[in-house]
Amino acid sequence: MIHSPTLSSIPSLCRGDKTLLQGWLADNPRQSLLFCIPAIILGCGAYGFTMGLWQGWEMASYVGIKLPLVIFAVLLVNGMINGMLAMALGSGIGFRESVQFLLAGFGLMAIILGSLSPITFMMALHAPSPDDPGAQQWHSVTLLTHTFMIAYAGIISHRSLLGHVKTFATTPAHGTRTFFAWLTGNLFVGAQISWIMRPFFGSPGLKVQFLRDDPMNGSFYETVLHALGNLTGF
Amino acid sequence: MTNDPIPPERPPQIPNPMAQHTRPVVTGPDPDFKAMEHKGFSNILNSLLKKPLSVVYELNQSPSRILGVLCLVSLVCLGVFGFVLGLFSAGDQLWAAPVKVIGGVFFSGLICLPSLYIFGALGGMDAKFPSVAGLMLTFLAITSLLLVGFAPVVWLFSTSSNSLVFFGFLSLAIWMVCLLFGLRVISRASRSMGGGHGGHLAIWAIIFATVTLQMTTSLRPIIGKSDKFLNLEEKRFFLGYWFEVIEDENTSPGRNTPDEENDRGSDD
Repeated sequence: MIHSPTLSSIPSLCRGDKTLLQGWLADNPRQSLLFCIPAIILGCGAYGFTMGLWQGWEMASYVGIKLPLVIFAVLLVNGMINGMLAMALGSGIGFRESVQFLLAGFGLMAIILGSLSPITFMMALHAPSPDDPGAQQWHSVTLLTHTFMIAYAGIISHRSLLGHVKTFATTPAHGTRTFFAWLTGNLFVGAQISWIMRPFFGSPGLKVQFLRDDPMNGSFYETVLHALGNLTGF
Repeated sequence: MTNDPIPPERPPQIPNPMAQHTRPVVTGPDPDFKAMEHKGFSNILNSLLKKPLSVVYELNQSPSRILGVLCLVSLVCLGVFGFVLGLFSAGDQLWAAPVKVIGGVFFSGLICLPSLYIFGALGGMDAKFPSVAGLMLTFLAITSLLLVGFAPVVWLFSTSSNSLVFFGFLSLAIWMVCLLFGLRVISRASRSMGGGHGGHLAIWAIIFATVTLQMTTSLRPIIGKSDKFLNLEEKRFFLGYWFEVIEDENTSPGRNTPDEENDRGSDD
């Protein structure tokens, strides 16, 4: 069964249709790229646009560009080690397949986020201006909402991906091990890349910028450790 | 002999709880411990990741073919990883860090080779010294290859992190992950050669890991800045040195002020 990279692949991917992914992996790897890359650009782009919209059109455009870039940057930085780990863990998955799996996972996440973007779009249109007294409260609400939605999309897409990896790997145990190795690496690097590409929501009172003046100065983990140190006094 | 058609009742069987949990012990060589199909450069790289035991097997049969490739892979990969580590401080560290990483890893391998041979033999491994040397080289090549896989991740943090302590521990964590994969190959190879009994190789693995950790202090600085290439006069134990570095960073006046950090923390 050959699937064309069209809208018809969207429901199949959402259902976790194994023949779709097997077809992409075995018969036509190009089709997975032709489907997943535009899906990530459009889905994450649309959702990112609504994330920054409450700060105005400029911020919305910036985040619309940056959110897909975060995903591609994570895949680029982790691509080599993901492929190597898949092989070293005995999953039978090679470099190309590992990229295809992860692209399919992120593609599904982008589709979920894209489908939620009309809701977040309307939410942003109802937001108070960043200069209003209620802006700080709205910022907290929008931060929590987006965190919840992105986490939901991430969990659902990765759960689906786990099923595919277990089916494709030499044994389900090898597949599970490989999947969690990828997940750990992607979360670790993803947090730092998102931190470098900040701001996404835009805290009230701070400048609207594509990237901060010193994006590569410091790391997400140092900031978290410092914040913990401030809280605990160590 | 009786003509009773009803067979006598068998006494009820007492279930043996151990029987459910015992599995047949699989002995003999690992299925991957066989000759490689192709021996080109890319096939050796592929086999190092997918079927490392075939490389060990090949080394036992005809070492001259693969030895050079394994040495080259280890040297280049460790050099690249060292260069990426050197990016943290830049300047002279761009050449000093690769030299120290290559030297440190190979020197650790060299001084731990006799103990690998002895500890392997204690566990029942039936291998000659050249085979154990080949196993060590395969182990170093796999570890180095995985380190290169992590190089983009290390680069990301080397160019953005301000904390020597954080970057140092990240590098050590990555080294340990790669080391685990390499040590797994030693364990599998040892079992394929009749060994792996008594946990002797686990002790050797701890010794090797400790030696490499001490190397980070003996060859200091690998990621930090210094006027001298090596500081061999001042002998230190790695844990003591690390605690000193952590203390220094906490009291350093050049560190970001809490206000700056708080501003960053609220920036989302």
